[in-house]
Amino acid sequence: MGNLELIVEKHSERIHHGLEVLPTLRHGLPAGLGNKRWTAELILATYEMALTGDLPKKGLEYRIGDSGGGFDVLGWKNNGFPKVDQDSVDLSISLNKRAEGRKIEIPLPIYGGGMSFGSISLNFILARARAAKKIGTYTSTGEGGYPDAIVPYRDHVITQVATGMFGVREETIQYAPIVEFKYAQGAKPGLGGHLLADKVTSEVAKMRESSMFTSLYSPFPFHSVYSVEDHKKHVDWIKTVNPRALVSVKVSTPTDVDMVAIGSYYAGANIIHIDGGYGGTGAAPEIAKKNIAMPIEYAIPKVHDYLVSEGVRDDIVLIASGGIRTADDIAKAIALGADGCVVATAEAVAVGCTHCGNCERGRGCQVGITTTDPELSQFIEPEWGETRIVNLYTAWTKRLRSILAGFGLKSVQDLRGRKDLLVRYK
Amino acid sequence: MDTQTIKPSKYERFRIETKPAPHVYQIPNKFDVSARKVRLAAMLVHEAFEFKLNKEVVLSRPCIYGVFGGRFGGFKPLKHKCVGCMRCVQEYPHIMTVKQSDEYKRLGDSFWTPEAVFTIWNEASTGKIPVKGMGYKGAFGGEGFDGIWTDMSEIVRPTRDGVYGREYISTCVDIGRKPTRVDFGKIDQTPSTVEVPVPIVFDDFPALDFDVWNAVGNAARKLGTFFVTHDQTRGEDYRERMIPIVDDNSIYETLEKRPSIVEYDGERSDLFEKLSDSLPSSIVIARVPLREEAGLVACKLAREGAHGLHLYTDYHGQDYSEDPRHISESLKEVHQLLVKKGLRDQVTIIASGGITLAEHVPKAIICGADLVGIDTTVLVALQAEFLGETRKRGTYKLRPRKIDQAWGTQRLVNLFGVWHDQLIEILSAMGMRDVRRLRGDIGRSMMDAELREQSFKGIAWAT
Repeated sequence: MGNLELIVEKHSERIHHGLEVLPTLRHGLPAGLGNKRWTAELILATYEMALTGDLPKKGLEYRIGDSGGGFDVLGWKNNGFPKVDQDSVDLSISLNKRAEGRKIEIPLPIYGGGMSFGSISLNFILARARAAKKIGTYTSTGEGGYPDAIVPYRDHVITQVATGMFGVREETIQYAPIVEFKYAQGAKPGLGGHLLADKVTSEVAKMRESSMFTSLYSPFPFHSVYSVEDHKKHVDWIKTVNPRALVSVKVSTPTDVDMVAIGSYYAGANIIHIDGGYGGTGAAPEIAKKNIAMPIEYAIPKVHDYLVSEGVRDDIVLIASGGIRTADDIAKAIALGADGCVVATAEAVAVGCTHCGNCERGRGCQVGITTTDPELSQFIEPEWGETRIVNLYTAWTKRLRSILAGFGLKSVQDLRGRKDLLVRYK
Repeated sequence: MDTQTIKPSKYERFRIETKPAPHVYQIPNKFDVSARKVRLAAMLVHEAFEFKLNKEVVLSRPCIYGVFGGRFGGFKPLKHKCVGCMRCVQEYPHIMTVKQSDEYKRLGDSFWTPEAVFTIWNEASTGKIPVKGMGYKGAFGGEGFDGIWTDMSEIVRPTRDGVYGREYISTCVDIGRKPTRVDFGKIDQTPSTVEVPVPIVFDDFPALDFDVWNAVGNAARKLGTFFVTHDQTRGEDYRERMIPIVDDNSIYETLEKRPSIVEYDGERSDLFEKLSDSLPSSIVIARVPLREEAGLVACKLAREGAHGLHLYTDYHGQDYSEDPRHISESLKEVHQLLVKKGLRDQVTIIASGGITLAEHVPKAIICGADLVGIDTTVLVALQAEFLGETRKRGTYKLRPRKIDQAWGTQRLVNLFGVWHDQLIEILSAMGMRDVRRLRGDIGRSMMDAELREQSFKGIAWAT
């Protein structure tokens, strides 16, 4: 074994060991770790769940952050003894509620969000795809193309079609059980995408059919879509190329997000995916993350109520993302009106992300997640990553079942829109 | 077409020329990284055995930013290189500690957070928009500007030119009184307004240093904006960009120098009469402190003929009401009363106080301002030193350090450049191509308190 391999092995082993040791608090709560949304405890609790597949045992707060609003000031009205057998609680949801089209069901109300090749490493993409296959859910390509390595997992991979059209080809649409149109991203709504030059390696450039080490922009918006009718043409295009695919429409959360949702429904979408401002990104202007478009907690009831009032709520799937960090966030999102959630950052935390926000710098992520650096990428072995992500979802499953059983609900679908089960804290 | 007849275009694309103006005074490290030295030594010995004295492997460091790249590695880490990624703590939790440094945590005052100070420093230093990975890390919403989100449009874009099209979004605003109708008897009189290319002016701030004022004056000239001062000896070389605040002592000097814009204390109607009589071509703006009755005062002044209102709060953005409110609240109230009385389009509103971050500019405009004034932010950009609470106007608790005028000018030009770019980001996300359309457009914003009540309606309070 050469020195480079030895160095990678050494640090990889040390990082993995650290992820096991840190949640024990044997060395205390790391002072510089975390922030208001992802507190140190929440990060460590996620590490622990990813290790054990169980809820944290040593009192780490795994349910909420410290942001002072949204999900963090919502709690459950009742969390006493389970009123039904937890194991009998059904967490599955359907991703197609229309009468026509392919029926797809996922065993958890969760699937993985788009993170593109280029913004994250191929190994992490593989870990996510493997985990999605194991769980029976989906992960999304993001807008970076469709690496050959994930073709074996194609039954669990959503192909994203975004404005830059990177990697969008006939075959990648035909692979997909679900095709996701990304109109906007919550962390940078209305601004399009930006992959910084440092990350555009030869492989990334080849995949995106561009030049190496040149910044890549995904423009905003789709220049072919200026109305619901234009959007319908997009949906029709996908359905022509792949008649079996379901269509998801990912949008941000403007004031008229309810109108956007109903427009998407009438254009033929199966899933309306609303992405709030506090979600993740490989790189975004700081001003956009905090200040543009509303948080997901406020957007969900707005959309849900409007779809109900229009009489179409049971014909379309409402998926929420953008700041979903915990199983409690998922349950609260569903109680506010969503059918399920898309998760991405929590998967990154499961494999060692510290939410430090240095993804966009030179070599990218120091633990091999948001990087295209060949050395750093090796810190995440796909099998190891798969296990961690599956474990996290296993722990979340237990928490979701516990919440539902506490209310005597036998199916997660019965939780939808049950705001009456929530309480607010000041 | 005969090429002889083609005249060169006078059109010039507005650009703010930013270039690096690095910090002159050392700034604190945000993170403080340290190692327990005995444990570090023990670990090195252990790894020396483990890797059979393979020096390259043993000494490979758990940092990609070079913190341990110095001669003494972890024994003397290069702290200024630490970005808080925590990898060293992940790998060696028994040895390494990374925390926010005490010097960093001491920055600012009760209003100026260390993060805000750092943001302004970096914007003034680099001239580049802060771009970072991962998601938002702060509080959910909050009071004042923190409780406002701006709208975006899923499909509408002001131009079809992608990121390059942002250059065609106008950030110009007019200062002055605008006629509400055409008077054919005075058709030869053009409206008395002055256009500024960015909706920001330098407001009066507490510093006596002439180098600072000259940097401000020079920056105002380069940017095509103005600076407000109560002492006309400051920034005198840039007089054409000066907006003097006139009082009894300075009025005759002002009348003599005939500035294009002048401010006076809104309670002094006698001064207004003198100024408007003696300076018919100048724009006369009343300075009005925001407090309970500011709306009524604003209406009265607009009716009396003031060309503009400079509404201000203290430096922390709190108004002068008995129960102080944030500038966003009181500004909105004044704007809406002027709209209701049919007076709003006649006057320009400049809002000052607590405008300390780029996002405050569009949010203040949404609340009703035409443009904003920045005060303590100027001093922070120039690396002034916090000596205590900077809340009270006129307080000298933010002490400027000795600066080079050219450096100071570039820092301020950079700050404006970055804020201008971020304003354009906000406008482009909203599908707007003119900042003037944003004024008072509360419908294109979302307020935390309102959304919370709408969306969490039906959720009981915990007992």
